[in-house]
Amino acid sequence: MNIPLKSYSKLLKKYLLPQQSRVTWLTLTLFSTIALQLINPQIISYFIDTAVAGGSNQKLYIAASVFIAVALLTQVCSICAKYLSENVAWTATNALRSDLVTHCLYLNFSFHKSRTPGEIIERVDGDVNALSRFFSQFIIDIVGNIILLLGILIVLFWQNWLAGTCLTIFSLISLSTLIKLHPLAIIPWTNYRQISAEFFGFIGEHITGLEDIRANGAVNYVIHRFHQFQQSWQSSYYKARLAATTLWGTTVGLFTLGNALALGIAAYLWNQQAITIGTAYILFYYTNLLQEPIEKIRVQLEDFQQAEASIYRIQELLQIPQEINHNIIGNVLNNGALSIEFENVYFNYELENLDNLENKDSNQWILNNISFNLAANQVLGILGRTGSGKTTITRLLLRFYQPQLGKISLNNIPIGQISTKELQSRIGVVTQDVQLFQTTVRNNLTFFNPTISDEQILDVLDGLGLTKWLNSLPNKLDTYLTSESNRISAGEAQLLAFTRVFLKNPSLVILDEASSRLDSKTEQYLEVAIDKLLTGRTAIIIAHRLQTLQRANQILMLDDGHTIEYGSYQDLINNPDSRFSQLLTNT
Amino acid sequence: MNSNQQPNIWQLLWRLILNITRLYLIDASIWLFIIGLPIFTGLIIQEFFNTLTGESKYNFSPTILIIFLLATGLGRVVFIFFGRLTETLHRFTISALLRHNLLQAILKRRGVMSLPVSQGELISYFRDDIEFIEENVVGTAAVFDHAIFALTSLIILANINWKMTVLVFLPLVLVIIVIQQMEKRIKRYRRNSRIATEKVTGLIGEIFNSVQAIKVAGAESSVISHFQKLNEQRRKAILKDQLFEVILNSNFQNLVNLGMGIILITAATFLQQGTNNFRVGDFALFVYYLAFVTEFVTFLGEFLTLSKQTEVSFERMAGLVDNQNNSALTLVAPQPLYLNHIFGKKQQLPQIKYEAQNYSPLQELTIENLTYHYPETSQGIENISFSLSKGSLTVITGGIGAGKTTLLRTLLGLLPLKFGNIYWNDCLIAHPASFFVPPHSAYTPQIPQLFSQTLRDNLLLGWERTNNDIEKALHTSVFTEDVTDMALGLETLVGYKGVRLSGGQLQRAAIARALIRQPELLVFDDISSALDIQTEEKLWLRLLNKQSNSQWQPTILIVSHREWLLNRADQVIILEQGRISKNICNL
Repeated sequence: MNIPLKSYSKLLKKYLLPQQSRVTWLTLTLFSTIALQLINPQIISYFIDTAVAGGSNQKLYIAASVFIAVALLTQVCSICAKYLSENVAWTATNALRSDLVTHCLYLNFSFHKSRTPGEIIERVDGDVNALSRFFSQFIIDIVGNIILLLGILIVLFWQNWLAGTCLTIFSLISLSTLIKLHPLAIIPWTNYRQISAEFFGFIGEHITGLEDIRANGAVNYVIHRFHQFQQSWQSSYYKARLAATTLWGTTVGLFTLGNALALGIAAYLWNQQAITIGTAYILFYYTNLLQEPIEKIRVQLEDFQQAEASIYRIQELLQIPQEINHNIIGNVLNNGALSIEFENVYFNYELENLDNLENKDSNQWILNNISFNLAANQVLGILGRTGSGKTTITRLLLRFYQPQLGKISLNNIPIGQISTKELQSRIGVVTQDVQLFQTTVRNNLTFFNPTISDEQILDVLDGLGLTKWLNSLPNKLDTYLTSESNRISAGEAQLLAFTRVFLKNPSLVILDEASSRLDSKTEQYLEVAIDKLLTGRTAIIIAHRLQTLQRANQILMLDDGHTIEYGSYQDLINNPDSRFSQLLTNT
Repeated sequence: MNSNQQPNIWQLLWRLILNITRLYLIDASIWLFIIGLPIFTGLIIQEFFNTLTGESKYNFSPTILIIFLLATGLGRVVFIFFGRLTETLHRFTISALLRHNLLQAILKRRGVMSLPVSQGELISYFRDDIEFIEENVVGTAAVFDHAIFALTSLIILANINWKMTVLVFLPLVLVIIVIQQMEKRIKRYRRNSRIATEKVTGLIGEIFNSVQAIKVAGAESSVISHFQKLNEQRRKAILKDQLFEVILNSNFQNLVNLGMGIILITAATFLQQGTNNFRVGDFALFVYYLAFVTEFVTFLGEFLTLSKQTEVSFERMAGLVDNQNNSALTLVAPQPLYLNHIFGKKQQLPQIKYEAQNYSPLQELTIENLTYHYPETSQGIENISFSLSKGSLTVITGGIGAGKTTLLRTLLGLLPLKFGNIYWNDCLIAHPASFFVPPHSAYTPQIPQLFSQTLRDNLLLGWERTNNDIEKALHTSVFTEDVTDMALGLETLVGYKGVRLSGGQLQRAAIARALIRQPELLVFDDISSALDIQTEEKLWLRLLNKQSNSQWQPTILIVSHREWLLNRADQVIILEQGRISKNICNL
């Protein structure tokens, strides 16, 4: 799993380019810090030689003061450099996080069904956080230290070519050993992060399923599973740490050799009387200085490993193609209610389950030869047992999926030719499951859209009879809906879902078992509102309750993906042999 | 919550360490060598330079000294491998313990449905806060080891020249004090940046948990711009945090340089006074030990800052714990963890224990004045009283927001009751949450949730039942056909939160889950919403048939609006605005 350097630099460029001036300042302060660090040991050498030779104290004091001044200046430069690098890193990763969330949100519906939110969250948040450390530390600790390393070697050469040569060879061997060892650890770290993501997914779904667990006596079972998880997590943790330890152990071994080498050279040159004692000391001192950049590079390689694994996972995610059906441009529909045409539609969610597209044998399709024609402003009622394909029709209309065979059109325009934005804005859906956010009531209704005014919201709430409820909340529209209060009953949540659709002002309304959670009294109450909603709009109502279907102009009955009855409401009611009228008499 | 009675961070860390005393001590000892061997390296270097300049008291040749140096270094490498082994187990044990206790605290809370924080925040507790604490615990051993090393170095240096030792190291101590003064400032910025981080994590969690709603509403772009706003706020908060962090954890090398400058000045002063000869070896030793003492000082500072951070972490997690003082002590209490042995051998997990004690069949369930209010509101239920007798069917009904779900949850202990008594066969139930579990009762929520495992595991959740029992339950819940239609049958994976099943299938699976447990009391919260009329009728016929004709005759308590159920019921309780408005008994 060797990620090419090219994709690293692509990532870096994209997110660093917009911050050019900061990056320039960063480079300047970084170089200054390094230069100052290289100068100071020379002062020590001078000091030692002067002291040993019995030189004047004034010289010694001056040397010491200059040393301190340089040290302070280095401190200041180093703080600036670090702060700038954090700034650059956070800005860059923020942009990356935002891009990831955007990309994922626009991905296909089938993508979201196949991953747990916990996994996605771990990538979008956890992996990006690992990357932010990578960005900031890469600059200072890897680039900076490499330059420092080169600087030290150059100075050593300048002191004494023998020392310079030996220590350069030593540095090269150390670095290449460490770099060769580095890929060893990628796979264990990736596995470790994978298991972590699964664990957090496990925690996530068990936190939302608390009442199911508790009231069915499954607490000990969940804890048992927890222990199983820990065991497999533990083994992958061990493997990952072992790989990292090998790296560290090697570093320490190499430094010991380096120190020995420096002392050896110093002793040899001293015996040849080729150097002063001061120089001998700083040969040793510079070799020690080598330690920190090499060590830092090693440590950053460890974080780099984790970051690399994260980059890999993020790249993987970014490469998943966006909605196959995402049209930016396309036909715009005429104003007013839409007409819908379904012509011989065949559909299955998974292409792999189909052996042969030509085979119209019913066993392999979820939807089998569905056809209907709904004129504008009319209402279609869809009936059928659960699993008969009703919701699938909704998803096809929203173009979350495309049918393998057949044609779907709105206002006689094939659905594939309409822009996604247009499609979304013209169709409103109320589903059985209402997903709420932990934010204000207002944001829950408008999905954070600031362009919808409060008057509009209050108007709609009034029309639905929710004004009293709204006034009962402590902060009305600004009240936070949080999990702790669970203030919303399932029925109230359903009414909020209706409000959302009203606010959208769509031309086609789909009610997918929308009032199934409401008691008949409330449902009656809502009838007036539904009437209002359906005026001037086309509608599809999917329901169990026959009462709800009373306003339908056409009825479509499905069973196992097949149409078992389709016709106008009046015709079916008046025909005593039709299934629909038989259903009515039975209840 | 009385924070005066909260244990402080040191008590908590101590308790954590007590859990693994032997391992901790072994680990700390090995690391003592890893951290401490450089003492000898320093002495060897001192000897080396003194030998070169002919000022040594001993007669080692430079070559021998270099060999000693190599031996010490390589010994350190051996210790590193052992140390990392123990440290890894050490770290994982602490984290696993905390995760276990936190999970258990959440699962066993009184009133499991009234969590004070969101799901995203809870996941960050598991991920980030526990990581901080783990780091802190390991840090205690490291601080101790570093302290011993630093002390030993100081003693050796004081032996050479105590005045110089004091003059050099006293300013360093002053630096720590200044650092600590800035701690309070850090804590505040850390809190702000943590809150901002949680908002972002929370929102990401919600976005990916509500993808369907967002896509259906076409609200991607407004949700994303809200996200970007929060993202930016967090970046600013973290940068403020980072500025302080950067200043305080300044490049360690710079502090060492300052120390060296001081050494130079004091050396110059002593030379001037002619009190001492300047031995290059002693100078080398001062510089070598200076680095390690400074490392200890910075490490101590970092450790104290981290401790402040983990104090915050403990406080937050303690908010989830359910005992009198919200004590964090529960989080650090010892537990069996079944972790793998240090050399990888897996431990056997014990059998799953069932939770109910003192099982007694139901004759009569009486509820007196049951009251619960949602926090900071007057919404909830008030003074609910009624009783059920063995084998009866009781239906609770009422308009939306009337309190039906609240009533069921309060009865079962999923919400902590404010006031009221529950009697099971004239026996007062002090802890409904631990009592109302199988085989006393089982519960299917209105919107049930399954978990990402096989269908079989979801039905059993650790309960032991034969295939025959499972089939019976599937038959009653009208689920047999669906299972037969699935390619993998009971071994089908249902996906995160059961998302791969349709709404109706989920509902029926959850019902089967409750039925398998053959509880005395069956509690269903409105199962009608996900089922079509025919299926629901079949289900009830089979269930009520079972109720009168088999060995197992459950008492049934449900929420419903279905007229024919209301007619069939032995008792109908009508709720309005949290109170009973009518109680009809059909005898």
